[in-house]
Amino acid sequence: MRFFRSVGEIFGYSPFKPLVEHAILCGRAIGLLQKQFEAYKKLDFVAVERLRDEIDELESKADEIKQEIRTKVSKSLMLPVDRHDLLEFLKVQDDIINNCEHVGHMLTFKKMKIKESILAEFEVLLSKIMECANEYEAMIEHVQKLIETSFDKREVEKVIEHVEEVERLEHICDLIQIGLHTMLFNSEDSHPLEVHLMEAWVVHLGYIANAIARAADRFRLMIYGR
Amino acid sequence: MEILLIIAIFVSFYVAWNIGANDAANSMATSYGSRALSLRQIILVCALLEFLGASLYGKNVVKTIAKGIVPIEALDPHLVVYGMVAALLSAGLWITIATYLHLPISTTHSIVGAVLGFGIAAVSQRHLEISMIKWSEVYRIMMSWAISPIMGAVLAFTIFYMIRILLFRRFDAGSVERIFRYLQVFTACYVAFAHGSNDVANAVAPLAPIFGLTAKGYYEIPREILMFGGLGIAIGVATWGYRVIRMVGENITQLTFTRGFSAEFATATTVLSASALGLPISTTHTLVGSVIGVGLAGGIASVNLKVVQKIIFSWILTMPITMFLSIGIYTVMVVFL
Repeated sequence: MRFFRSVGEIFGYSPFKPLVEHAILCGRAIGLLQKQFEAYKKLDFVAVERLRDEIDELESKADEIKQEIRTKVSKSLMLPVDRHDLLEFLKVQDDIINNCEHVGHMLTFKKMKIKESILAEFEVLLSKIMECANEYEAMIEHVQKLIETSFDKREVEKVIEHVEEVERLEHICDLIQIGLHTMLFNSEDSHPLEVHLMEAWVVHLGYIANAIARAADRFRLMIYGR
Repeated sequence: MEILLIIAIFVSFYVAWNIGANDAANSMATSYGSRALSLRQIILVCALLEFLGASLYGKNVVKTIAKGIVPIEALDPHLVVYGMVAALLSAGLWITIATYLHLPISTTHSIVGAVLGFGIAAVSQRHLEISMIKWSEVYRIMMSWAISPIMGAVLAFTIFYMIRILLFRRFDAGSVERIFRYLQVFTACYVAFAHGSNDVANAVAPLAPIFGLTAKGYYEIPREILMFGGLGIAIGVATWGYRVIRMVGENITQLTFTRGFSAEFATATTVLSASALGLPISTTHTLVGSVIGVGLAGGIASVNLKVVQKIIFSWILTMPITMFLSIGIYTVMVVFL
């Protein structure tokens, strides 16, 4: 089929579906983290390491998508949103899964028997982060609708509602983190090294929630910026 | 002489076939891409309306290319036949090469360049004065090449913007799209008709002076020639165009019903206006302009503006190439025949 001249070339690479796929990978990584903590609770360290590898895999898949978008969204494409805003948003969204990878590794640094009460609080934090991620996914899935309606006001309003909900949930994550910190530094019977490591977990879990909120904010900016 | 007539008819048919296979198919691919019509329906509608557009509305553009650029009445009828055959051969040759190289060239630019080449050759051989070439008409045609994609863009932008304001804001996007699925059948026909009316000239305009010479010494444009061109285009669509429709259509899923409607309506209106004014313009380039217009109205996820560069490049390339080809072929014919 060499003999034809095509008008189809006028349609360029669309980064929006890959963006959603990338976000879904982030959500799945958080799900795996939850499982990893469960395995940790059961002292099943084989599973902990296996889950770390699975998260690594998701992260590298997400990296591929990120690279694809970054290389294909060239200046000669006319997108309904600003190219810079889009790439900046992608960068922050990628931070979500990068931080998941960090935590996944941190769980394998040391095999410890952690107190029930502390682990329970970690589970609370994780499920809140998961809730936040689900809300984020609901937001990002509006992309298709936004494009279909070419950024109709009503559709934009729906997205903004999701962003606000993500921010509210992230704030709750912050509060749980504060509680966890207090709990950790007051568990006199725990070994200082263990406290130190767990504190790093809390901080990095916080980074995940933070990245979700910042990505949502970037998404909102991207829509407002058009 | 008879052999020249046969060559002329043959090449003219080949160019018409090419227009049907490539350009008509491209214009219709939007309807296939948005799945408004099935492939079979598109081919049927396309072939029929291209034919009708060509035979009912193609005359003005044929007139422009046949006698609006070179004052053929001032030339010996033999030279006119040579010139027109040379123009057809050059255009046909360049279209074939460019298609092979995947250049987004326009058959319109090719034939206009080729006919102008014949005129310039006639000037250089002192059969015509340089001032006798209708430069103002050439200028008007070239202006229309720049204006038509812009007009397509402005119209498409306006139409899609209105759809956004009047419909998307009030109704669910999904149900709006469903209604436009049917409206797009209409615009698809509109495009095919407009395309036939404008592009048929690229294939058959040189035949008019060959077969249209009246006893009184001036040139008419026989309706049979328009019908012949329309038939060639229709056959092009049916025998090869369907593949192009399928290939292009699969790449343009970004064009939903409302977007397709806007782009097609804008393109067809622009092209049909040009046909009425006797201006030979490129339907494909107008369609590209229209798609950009929809994109500017925020309707398309990603528009590749590199194509614009390619099109401008092919503009610059096509005119001189077909012109020189035609000068060469014409001169050879005058010297040896």
